[in-house]
Amino acid sequence: MAEAVTNEGIVAKVKAFLATIPHNKITLRDLLNYPKTPVNNFIALLTVLFLAFFVIGVGNYLIHGHEAYGVTREHPWGLLIAVYIFFVVSSTGLCIVGSLGDVFGFKDYEVISKRAIFGSIVTILSGFAVIAFEIGHPIRMMIWNVLTPGLRSAIWWMGTLYGLYLTFMIIEFVFLLKHDMRRAKIFGLIGLLVGLAAHSNLGGVFGFLNTRLISQGVFYPTYFILTAFITGIYLAFIMMGFRYRLKFPDNIRKMLVGLAKIQGLLLAILMFFETWKMMTAIYGGVPGRSDVAEHILTTWPFWAEVLLGMLIPFLIILKSKGQNVTGMFWGSLIGMVGIFFMRYDLVHDTQLKPLQMMKVREYQLPPEWVHYAPSATEIMISLGGLGICILLYYIGTKLFNLDADTEH
Amino acid sequence: MARYGMALDYKNCINCKACEVACKEENGVLLGADKHRIWVGVNEIEGVWPNLSISSSSFLPSQCQQCDNAPCEEVCPTHATYYDENGVVRVDSDKCILCSYCMNACPYDARYVDDRTVTVDKCTFCSDTRLARGLTTTACQNTCPTKVRTFGDLDDPESEISILLKTRDHFSLKANLGTEPKLFYLT
Ligand code: SF4
Ligand code: SF4
Ligand code: SF4
Repeated sequence: MAEAVTNEGIVAKVKAFLATIPHNKITLRDLLNYPKTPVNNFIALLTVLFLAFFVIGVGNYLIHGHEAYGVTREHPWGLLIAVYIFFVVSSTGLCIVGSLGDVFGFKDYEVISKRAIFGSIVTILSGFAVIAFEIGHPIRMMIWNVLTPGLRSAIWWMGTLYGLYLTFMIIEFVFLLKHDMRRAKIFGLIGLLVGLAAHSNLGGVFGFLNTRLISQGVFYPTYFILTAFITGIYLAFIMMGFRYRLKFPDNIRKMLVGLAKIQGLLLAILMFFETWKMMTAIYGGVPGRSDVAEHILTTWPFWAEVLLGMLIPFLIILKSKGQNVTGMFWGSLIGMVGIFFMRYDLVHDTQLKPLQMMKVREYQLPPEWVHYAPSATEIMISLGGLGICILLYYIGTKLFNLDADTEH
Repeated sequence: MARYGMALDYKNCINCKACEVACKEENGVLLGADKHRIWVGVNEIEGVWPNLSISSSSFLPSQCQQCDNAPCEEVCPTHATYYDENGVVRVDSDKCILCSYCMNACPYDARYVDDRTVTVDKCTFCSDTRLARGLTTTACQNTCPTKVRTFGDLDDPESEISILLKTRDHFSLKANLGTEPKLFYLT
């Protein structure tokens, strides 16, 4: 009896606390009530379609298991891993962008803090939704990750730290909504540090693969942080572009110009890194590294990554010295397509080189490169992740005031 | 408590694949499953008749190398992969979450997904079948018509394998990676 009372007490307290978080009361009708422009209708239709894909894809997976995927013994990680990375990189990136204002105190960037932090929560949730159907036993994972933690495993650290990170991001967001800037700053800083640790560990998942020379080493753990920042800035442009229908008020324009300039610098650094990565990989003709790198240079997704993810946005920024924020909105959409290929390439290229030695049967030539093509189910779940992301973000824009509070 | 290892006199291999059949039979590996647990690598004979390079044609029987410093164990987030009391690298199918990290980390591509348990599996040195029944041989070793494999305790200086390794030259695969395989190829 006494227990029931305390339980009720706790529930009441939680309810009371939730009621103190500023939010709008919304109904389904509010959600359906958006300006019926062709663009909006198109995005709404696309989102519904993607969500339907998600349901079909997941259903297919639940019936057929990994058979429904294009993954093989030689290529066990496929599209869903790439999409998971795509989302968590987006999350870390938005967290960095959001922190500029409310953690580091750059006043110009405070206008995007709340929106970016909310975006970071939404993107990581979408990532989790996708990875749950790639990991064979996600429930078992939560149990044994705690009971017998593999402390030398980068996947363990990555997963655990991302779980913590999500918690801190939510706490920070609540304090931002409540306009408690001091606490938001503390939790924002902790969340940012944990997020960066989690994210570099995700790079470490690849960097620790000693037998995959093309990925092994320090490159990925550091490059992941750099590309996260870049991704965050692309998404900042996209979110703000939609928010203001490309008619930016002065303070927003000022912030975006600032972000564009940072982006120019980051992209330059990234291209510099990539060039050296490729050169050191090819130099000396080391098998497993040099041959893989040379092969990568002949694949179109690599050039999609370079052109869309780096060069085109960089040229847009360079041409207007960062002033063309509308151009950068489009550049950012293109950039995100490039970032997707960047993630796909990372996963696929790591597994390109067959590892078995002389493990071939008669009358069968050894495969030069391990082949992988995503299955329809994988593609549907991936697009579904995007659908979830758009839907959650849209609900958030209705439920919360994501614009900066005017009174400070 | 032993430290099991295997020596392969691989030049005697005639590629009859009896070991693959025996392993499937003993350990319930699904029929038709290709390169699960054990396989024979084949190097095609090179050259055009009559100038054929006889030495180019070779067979390399292989399986999990039972590394002493196993990358698959290191990367496993839940300790599903572990060293058992005999130094054999095993997978606890109750703990494996099928993240596939081990499959990517194993330098010898020795792991596969077992469709029955939907977890990762590999050669176990017949630990849960023959060794558990008190036998001291593995199925692949027992069946081999040319006696390619010698299985035994590396810690016992009197064991057949220890003596073999002392008296014959041998090499390990990808030794540069420091995985310290317990499979030894005799030359
Ligand atoms: S060969 Fe592969 S599966 Fe076997 S112990 Fe070594 S790393 Fe693990
Ligand atoms: S697939 Fe299973 S055995 Fe392999 S690393 Fe993941 S949890 Fe461990
Ligand atoms: S030792 Fe046993 S499990 Fe391993 S390959 Fe031989 S028969 Fe199969």
